Amino acid sequence: MTFRITRTAGLLAGASLAFAAPSFAAGDQVTPAAATAAAAAAATAAGPTDADLMNDEKTPGDILTYGMGPRGQRFSPLTTINAGNVSNMVPAFSASLGGEKQRGQEAQPIVYDGMIYVTGSYSRLFAFDAKTGEEMWQYDARLPDGIMPCCDVVNRGAAIYGDKIIFGTLDAHMVALNRKTGKVIWNKTLAPFDAGYSFTAAPMIVKGKVIYGNSGGEFGVIGKVEARDVNTGELIWSRPTIEGNMGVGAGGKPTTMTGKLNASWEGDQWKTGGGATWLGGTYDPDTNLVFIGTGNPSPWNSHLRPGDNLYTASTLAIDPDSGEIKWHYQTTPHDGWDYDGVNEFIPFDMDGKKLGAKADRNGFFFVLDRTNGKFVSAKPFVSKTTWAKGFDAKGKPMFDPANRPGAPSTEKGTTVFSAPSFLGGKNWMPMSYSQQTNMFYIPSNEWGMDIWNEPIAYKKGAAYLGAGFTIKPLYDDHIGVLRAMDPKTGKIAWEYKNKAPLWGGVLSTAGNLVFTGTPEGYLKAFDAKTGKELWKFNTGSGVVGSPVTWEDGGEQYVAVMSGWGGAVPLWGGEVAKAVQHINQGGALWVFKLPKS
Amino acid sequence: MSTSRRSLLGGALALACFPGAARARTIEKLKADGVLRVAVYRDFEPWSWRDASSKLIGIDVEIGELIAKTLGLRAETVDFLADEDVGDDLRNMIWRGSLVGGTVSDIMMHVPVDRQFALANDRAVIGGPYYREGFMMACALDTDCEVPPPQFKGRKLAAELDSIPDFYLSGGFGGVLRSDVTHVLSGAAAIDSVKQGKADVALATRAQVEHAMQAGAERLKVRKGPLPALPSPGWDVGVAVKDDARDLADLLDQMIAGFRKDGQIDAILAKHGVTPHAPLSV
Repeated sequence: MTFRITRTAGLLAGASLAFAAPSFAAGDQVTPAAATAAAAAAATAAGPTDADLMNDEKTPGDILTYGMGPRGQRFSPLTTINAGNVSNMVPAFSASLGGEKQRGQEAQPIVYDGMIYVTGSYSRLFAFDAKTGEEMWQYDARLPDGIMPCCDVVNRGAAIYGDKIIFGTLDAHMVALNRKTGKVIWNKTLAPFDAGYSFTAAPMIVKGKVIYGNSGGEFGVIGKVEARDVNTGELIWSRPTIEGNMGVGAGGKPTTMTGKLNASWEGDQWKTGGGATWLGGTYDPDTNLVFIGTGNPSPWNSHLRPGDNLYTASTLAIDPDSGEIKWHYQTTPHDGWDYDGVNEFIPFDMDGKKLGAKADRNGFFFVLDRTNGKFVSAKPFVSKTTWAKGFDAKGKPMFDPANRPGAPSTEKGTTVFSAPSFLGGKNWMPMSYSQQTNMFYIPSNEWGMDIWNEPIAYKKGAAYLGAGFTIKPLYDDHIGVLRAMDPKTGKIAWEYKNKAPLWGGVLSTAGNLVFTGTPEGYLKAFDAKTGKELWKFNTGSGVVGSPVTWEDGGEQYVAVMSGWGGAVPLWGGEVAKAVQHINQGGALWVFKLPKS
Repeated sequence: MSTSRRSLLGGALALACFPGAARARTIEKLKADGVLRVAVYRDFEPWSWRDASSKLIGIDVEIGELIAKTLGLRAETVDFLADEDVGDDLRNMIWRGSLVGGTVSDIMMHVPVDRQFALANDRAVIGGPYYREGFMMACALDTDCEVPPPQFKGRKLAAELDSIPDFYLSGGFGGVLRSDVTHVLSGAAAIDSVKQGKADVALATRAQVEHAMQAGAERLKVRKGPLPALPSPGWDVGVAVKDDARDLADLLDQMIAGFRKDGQIDAILAKHGVTPHAPLSV
């Protein structure tokens, strides 16, 4: 029988209690390997430190952070595999995640001390031997019935620190496991899953704190950024993303208000304004700022919430020590198209200036001064942006008023065709910045949407006003486009067109290479300067994970997760037709050059 | 996250994606098992909610039990969290089940009986209407409930977030009332805030208002006049089963029509303070 946990009675009554011991020990499965790992070298016995994490970009022997460095540039200085020899690359091994749970695999591997750690669909964490692919241990979160992940049961990766490997689960827990044994060290409830909360992002660790956002939740929840002690899981600070709400410190003590009450919201709408932070963020040691994107405002219909609706659809710069917002920049003020602003903001330097860049759902590529959030430029990175003609010198969009979906009435509102679609010029999948070519490599999609207001829709058994969307590809022969963009000029140096939408992350290397995966199943390598396709390999299922590279024993390895899923196959219409033949999967693939 | 943007694949494509989806249980199988699995909305007073002792009660719960009893079965009722729209709920509770496991139910209560909606949700069979729902305004005793709505300016208004009452009060009349609206998470909570003196006016469904009048009528009164330009003519409420359980759907249609005729539905509604309103779609 179905046993549903209710708010008033059930398994997690008093779920906010801290669990010193694993809370679900009985149900979690940890499978030790037949063979135990060789004793670790003394250098790695204690595990990665804060300094190691901050230095991740410069240590190609390991991958300790989501983004291959706190800045999230996803760039490797390695040159063993390069544009001249990548065509020879072959699989070293493949490791299956097994089970019947072959859904979207969106994770980025972590590589340390001879192990590869990957998360899998349904909140699983695997430790594989980095040389052989042999599974050392596996942790399966015991998920309760009745959780409601919005867009597939994905997980984007783990974080590593000291003796711990840490990841979030679909029932909105954060779990720290011993990285050698998979045994639970701490397990904290971040939010009540039975109010619709879940967790899919890779956590980030800065100065001994796990920093993360929130996702899901009943309609009208507000976004938050939170920090917990990496050793105990205790909450240090919590910062709401919507102005008017109070921050919280250790022990639940109120701290400071976010922004100014009712500056850009009317009435009590700020209490339920949206702005979820479900993708996590990046960190810049240089300015000591965490950069995190916020989701779109609610309610959906923008006519009901006049004002800019801060800080939705924005990038926030937050002091990791205090949880205070240092600056903000709003990419879509008063959003009316569902242009969620969660995409990553990647710090980079140009002409001696400290900048950062973000390729937004709304189709524009933003360059900002990362020290103060001042606008530098916004250039389209997709072929069509109907909602705004561009951005003025102050960094404000020049809206096309005719392209905002009309106010609802008793009749079906006029249908507006807007591009990009709500799935974005770029969705969750992270771009890369090459320190070699000084270009950004953006996984983008060419689609628009019909949007209209529905006079009669139904929710929770009642009539309500809804919005209708139909996503339409802009072109017959492709939806996905990988683009190389010069952040100085906004010019596109080259593009690679792909029939299905691109949904995986990008990696660039000093070997003049760019890697990304496709739903058709390929991991592909391109010449970073020209975009010429140099190598491809079919992994057997769609690739929607983020590739990484490292070196071990003088050999360079490239790894990516294979396993089709994520949000794309969940939408109908013409896009679904383009991807319906793709088979499910769940495997880690590792490649290298053959030994001559 | 926006409303209804995640309408999942329907029809044949969904079948292709979820080939392992279980078939609905036949009537014979239901009888052999002795159990009818009924899905109701969580925290949905007066239709389905939990009382102080956590017992699941309400109109939908009782109608579900009546259906089970008539089939000679025991009702096993689950209260589920509403997803973004009822189409998602049908997918989660009736024809596919959650991605994360959990069984589907044999019937789901409180599904709108609406031709367009049924066409868009062809993996479920919807029928057996037992009530026609609409909206109603309740006011505190010292508030003139009959004035044209713009004259509520400066009064405290309560409505369920994102509901038609919310859109009506926040968005209607040029938005003049927007700053006066307090948003709560259910219609019942909106009426409670008037009962507790925290608001002067609440707009909620008729069943929610009438049910609240049952206990606490001394603190509430109902608007008798119409609500100008309310964007909803009302809707019928019925049940849904999976698309391959049409025989059960037909049986439920007849059974519920019988309950309406013999007064059993009326009795359950009346018990919770709700006046019967015959559905239009019969």
